[in-house]
Amino acid sequence: MATLRLNALRKTYPNGVTALHGADLEIADGELIVVVGPSGCGKSTLLRMLAGLESISDGELAIDGRRVNDLEPAERDIAMVFQNYALYPHMSVADNMGYALKNRGVPKAERRRRVEETARLIGLEDLLDRRPKQLSGGQRQRVAMGRAIVREPRVFLFDEPLSNLDAKLRVQMRLEIRRLQKRLGVTAVYVTHDQVEAMTLADRLVVMNGGRIEQVGTPMHLYARPASRFVAGFIGSPAMNFLNARLDARLGGDILTLPCGTRLASPIPASGEAKTVCLGIRPEHLAVVPEGDVIDGDLSVRVELVEPLGADTLVHARLDGQDDLVVARIDGIRAVAEGDSLTLRPDPGRLHLFDPETGQRLAPMEPECQHSTCPA
Amino acid sequence: MRYRRRGLDIASHALLILALIAFCLPVWLAITAATHDQASLYTGTAPLWFGSEGLGNFRAVLTEPVGRLGTDVTRLLLNSTVMALGIAVGKIAIAILAAYAIVFFRFPLRRLCFWLIFITLMLPVEVRIMPTYKVAADLGLLNSYVGLILPLIASATATFLFRQFYLTVPPELLEAARVDGAGPWRFLRDILLPLSKTNIAALFVIMFLYGWNQYLWPLLITTESDHMTIVVSLKRLLSSADNLVPWQTVMATALLAMLPPVAVIVLMQRYFVKGLVDAEK
Ligand SMILES: Nc1ncnc2c1ncn2[C@@H]1O[C@H](COP(=O)(O)OP(=O)(O)OP(=O)(O)O)[C@@H](O)[C@H]1O
Ligand SMILES: [Mg+2]
Repeated sequence: MATLRLNALRKTYPNGVTALHGADLEIADGELIVVVGPSGCGKSTLLRMLAGLESISDGELAIDGRRVNDLEPAERDIAMVFQNYALYPHMSVADNMGYALKNRGVPKAERRRRVEETARLIGLEDLLDRRPKQLSGGQRQRVAMGRAIVREPRVFLFDEPLSNLDAKLRVQMRLEIRRLQKRLGVTAVYVTHDQVEAMTLADRLVVMNGGRIEQVGTPMHLYARPASRFVAGFIGSPAMNFLNARLDARLGGDILTLPCGTRLASPIPASGEAKTVCLGIRPEHLAVVPEGDVIDGDLSVRVELVEPLGADTLVHARLDGQDDLVVARIDGIRAVAEGDSLTLRPDPGRLHLFDPETGQRLAPMEPECQHSTCPA
Repeated sequence: MRYRRRGLDIASHALLILALIAFCLPVWLAITAATHDQASLYTGTAPLWFGSEGLGNFRAVLTEPVGRLGTDVTRLLLNSTVMALGIAVGKIAIAILAAYAIVFFRFPLRRLCFWLIFITLMLPVEVRIMPTYKVAADLGLLNSYVGLILPLIASATATFLFRQFYLTVPPELLEAARVDGAGPWRFLRDILLPLSKTNIAALFVIMFLYGWNQYLWPLLITTESDHMTIVVSLKRLLSSADNLVPWQTVMATALLAMLPPVAVIVLMQRYFVKGLVDAEK
């Protein structure tokens, strides 16, 4: 149970690679923070710096308000779950879980009691005498979790703990991790590159790109108001569609013009002369319009590929007379075949505009946030 | 692929049996000769069956001073055992620590250290024996166990083998141990050593044999019989220029000299074979 403060945290590896360009973050007590980003963006580096396994090149890290930059991992009172679990192969499950307690000089009886209690909590009672080699992947994962829990640390750190499990087990363990974390109330930082995992687990999400934090917020906030084109493309599945558009002022409202000639009402006012913007529309915010109902602003497309998912169907379609492909998520009941012509209507309240050069969000600018946990 | 052909079967079995005879006959002759008295060994034919002495020759060499050696074989066996154990244990302990430092610690000139150790692989004892002798003599180590053991106690081979093993240990294991509050010594004791158990057993056997079979160095550094090793003594028993060689004594001593290495191999072979077959990690 602790708060964490990251202040301009930087990491430059001895070989000159700067993996983290100054990260600022405040983590509240009991919060589950998920760090996501593409491979190589510095997620593991950040986590390992929190753990004390990598030195901090610059900046300050504080746990409960106390600077811990120069403390050894054990002195920071954190527990870490590794991607490959890193269980001690020659020790039984019970010894694996009790090793940290043993190193702290916890008496044997007390150790045994705590190990057994934790084992009950995560359903490992019957496996305490086994070696890691005699366990399945999911069971090893549990042991790794148990080893972290039994110490009652101030902070849990997870580095892609579920990536070696099959899809079904992953969903199950994900829920379990969330449940345990909330029940124990321990602050946790969880690294993953799976954005579904990130969305479902997080109290707050940290999206990283190229060694920088792009945006921090609740999953729904990041989904509804991505601060940059990168975040918009990274959060949400399938990814947001991006189209180039021209924004200019017209009589009776500002207009976005797509290359295909379609015109949409702009969510932001045009300023001065016309400019190019990047328009983002999520697949789930494109609806099929019944024939005869077509109005100005609808997109006529030709279906190129259909992916039925059951409840929904993903339609990959090409805008008429254009090279741009858009993806729409439509109701699974509707029969759509490749080669069909469709009309899609973007939800006018859910358009996102980005600066084509910087990728920064243009519109709509942050309104007051609907989610209580959103940062100010 | 397994061929079943009669001719091949017979030929391969014949070869096996020949090889077996080549190995076993000398040992058999030694055993039988050790049970004869001197007179019956000088009749011109080697005896193929046990003689009149029974275990008498063994009892004699173990309890009474043997010929010109001036001491009994019990003492010689003890000396050899101390030397072989000292060398085996010392080599393994030093190799473990050296490899641990090289693999898990970052210190200046780490690579240089490793290569210096590595190139000494190319320097067998015999090459540096004269300077080593001079140093040992100056330090007053002649006729002492320390003198027997110390110059042979570092092993580049063992260091190299442990290094290779340590490199296969996943780095996360070290990190997990650090998070769990294990310092360098704890990590070595609780995690690295148990993991290298089989390697240690295998190396112990090899190094014990190496120490036991040392000849040149003990020959140089011991001049008195109370620190003489059994391997050196065997040779001295044979070189009786004026007398007839007491073959029954030589054979009994030789057989006794074989026992400790055999015992070590038999005792350790369970771990040893395991270490060679499945690298339990
Ligand atoms: N020990 C190291 N020495 C030098 N550079 C490193 C080291 N570890 C990582 N890097 C570099 O730092 C950058 C960030 O690496 P990091 O492992 O933090 O990425 P990641 O976000 O965890 O990626 P992934 O999702 O693939 O695990 C990468 O460019 C990587 O090459
Ligand atoms: Mg990583």
